[in-house]
Amino acid sequence: MTVRVSSGMVSNRHSNANTPATAQEAQWWSEFDAAARRPLEQRLRYAFIKTYKPVLDDARWRSFASMSEYREWCSRELPDWLGYGRV
Amino acid sequence: MAVFEYRQAQEVRDAFARHGCRYLFIGKSGAILLGYPDTTQDADLFVAKSPENGEALVAALKELGFEVEPNLEADIRRGKDFVQLKNGPFDLDLVFAPDGIERFEDAWNRHVEVDGFPVCSIDDIIASKEAARRQKDLESLPRLKSFREYLRRK
Repeated sequence: MTVRVSSGMVSNRHSNANTPATAQEAQWWSEFDAAARRPLEQRLRYAFIKTYKPVLDDARWRSFASMSEYREWCSRELPDWLGYGRV
Repeated sequence: MAVFEYRQAQEVRDAFARHGCRYLFIGKSGAILLGYPDTTQDADLFVAKSPENGEALVAALKELGFEVEPNLEADIRRGKDFVQLKNGPFDLDLVFAPDGIERFEDAWNRHVEVDGFPVCSIDDIIASKEAARRQKDLESLPRLKSFREYLRRK
């Protein structure tokens, strides 16, 4: 089913209000609450950043015949610290 | 190259609509549209694989200012599984066959629209990241799953 939302955040609300199970989740949910109060335009402004990524940013475009070919390329060519390797 | 922002998201939405492109925001950019607070560097689009959609995508990308050279155009028209674009006004990944999602139509039937932006369901975004099994995805999945639970319970 498609849910259309005119503005703000998507809501998939159930009738029973619940609370997060852990302190870590409570922290995350407070972040989600804060995000929900921001208009979409502001959320996007905060979300997209640009930093140089070695190798990945060194070509104007790339294409791969399959996702497995792309994953293999990432494992072979990209520095581990970028996090694109499979585990 | 400029950072992707709301205005450019609108330009993508409007150009893709004008050319009849079939697509969904996916990945972290999709989650962000759903309300997930995080950072990312590029927009990921799950695009339907068909000759008609390939042609529409090429036209829309050219209109948006991407330099679509002949080899790239051929690859988009063919619907190669993954096309990474860094030759336009912002970085864009076209994913014709994301991990973890069988068919575009299935994802379309589950999709969500946010301010006119078609976005994969949070379940599909999580499924694709789980199937990709990248280190960076595995690190972010617990928070993303918590966001799904947040959406369900709020």
